[in-house]
Amino acid sequence: MPVVRIPTPLRPQAGGLDKIEAAGSTVGEVLADLGRQHPAIRERLFDGAEIRRFVNVYVNNEDVRFLDDLDTPVGEKDEVAIIPAVAGG
Amino acid sequence: MAAPASNAAAPDPLDRYSRQVRFPALGEDGQRALMNSRVTLCGCGALGTVLANHLARAGVGHLRIIDRDFIETHNLQRQILFDEQDVADNLPKAEAAARKLRKINSAIEIEAVVTDLDHSNAIDLMGDADLILDGTDNFETRYLINDAAVKLNKPWIYGGVIGSEGQTMTIVPGETPCLRCVIETAPPPGMTPTCETAGVLGPAVAVIASFEAVEAIKLLAGKKEALNRNLVMVDLWDWTFRQLKISGLLVKVDCPCCKHRKFDWLEGEAGSHTTTLCGRNAVQIASRRPEPLKFPDMAERLRPLGDVRHNAFMLRFATEGYEFTVFPDGRAIIKGTNDVAKAKTLYSQFVGA
Repeated sequence: MPVVRIPTPLRPQAGGLDKIEAAGSTVGEVLADLGRQHPAIRERLFDGAEIRRFVNVYVNNEDVRFLDDLDTPVGEKDEVAIIPAVAGG
Repeated sequence: MAAPASNAAAPDPLDRYSRQVRFPALGEDGQRALMNSRVTLCGCGALGTVLANHLARAGVGHLRIIDRDFIETHNLQRQILFDEQDVADNLPKAEAAARKLRKINSAIEIEAVVTDLDHSNAIDLMGDADLILDGTDNFETRYLINDAAVKLNKPWIYGGVIGSEGQTMTIVPGETPCLRCVIETAPPPGMTPTCETAGVLGPAVAVIASFEAVEAIKLLAGKKEALNRNLVMVDLWDWTFRQLKISGLLVKVDCPCCKHRKFDWLEGEAGSHTTTLCGRNAVQIASRRPEPLKFPDMAERLRPLGDVRHNAFMLRFATEGYEFTVFPDGRAIIKGTNDVAKAKTLYSQFVGA
């Protein structure tokens, strides 16, 4: 099953986990399954059906906006990473 | 007593940099280019002090350090150019950093600018730079830097840190995606942790700032081919290192900034400068007076109302549970409230409209 990497700021909404297996064959399906497993994370990631614009999603380190956004295919061994912008400094 | 040898050869200005000149990828040509370069550093906190330290020691010819803030004891955990005496002396960060760096390298020019970088001064402060560096702690200023850098066609380097993790990317307008291509919009307040709410580790800051510094050295030394063009992410606590491929976004994203040359922050349409300072229970009041405030007169007027101290750079005034830090240009940081309206009232009450 594809693995979703959870960034530190979202771990409180994901039971403290840093990676979660989620089912699906596209980025959209995988993130929807993640949202079913951890409803609190859904609101942080999505605004309606769209990924919030300050959250970037990568499949195997490639930005999904460069691929097919939520329709980007995800294989069984692929890694989906959620990367929020980091503001501090 | 022997007279100084008048026929001795002048020391080679490259000598002090010999250990990095011997690094083959930099070499003497790279060092000479560094010594002839100009950098504008925006923000001199955690990232900024590490950046300024690296670049001043490496011999960047002219370093302009911009910061709006003063030093507090809780900065010393990670802001490596400051010490307890600087806190006691109420020094602004830019000034304290410049003083320390001049002792480290007297062969370069260091300029301290104590101001709030905003749309009215960004082009002036960045226009003569070969490179702009991000040592800020907020996206409002980063989008402003991005606007100015794209408009001026100058490279800049983004860095951000929180907790034990950080990100950095180098932006070369026209060649790489810009900040708005990659991070289309800033997280709204409350949706993302800040250093005040989530904490930050000094080593994480030092790693990200060091990545920024090495990319800066490559750019300034004319070694652009060696640049890292990915978005780099590190988490020091769990030892993850990730390089995210973003170069494709340059053609893919219909970017308002670098494609349509719409500079929302530079044109003053986005961002506000009288603003709550996130997580600090403080509000910054924006002001730019034509004449500097006269601190001795002001102190005399305020003394019956509370505790007042001042030096050449700032006036500190505490009353009714609020603490005012006022700068000569009229800008003020008011601690003790997150309410902008309340802070504005306090400002006109005690500092004057």
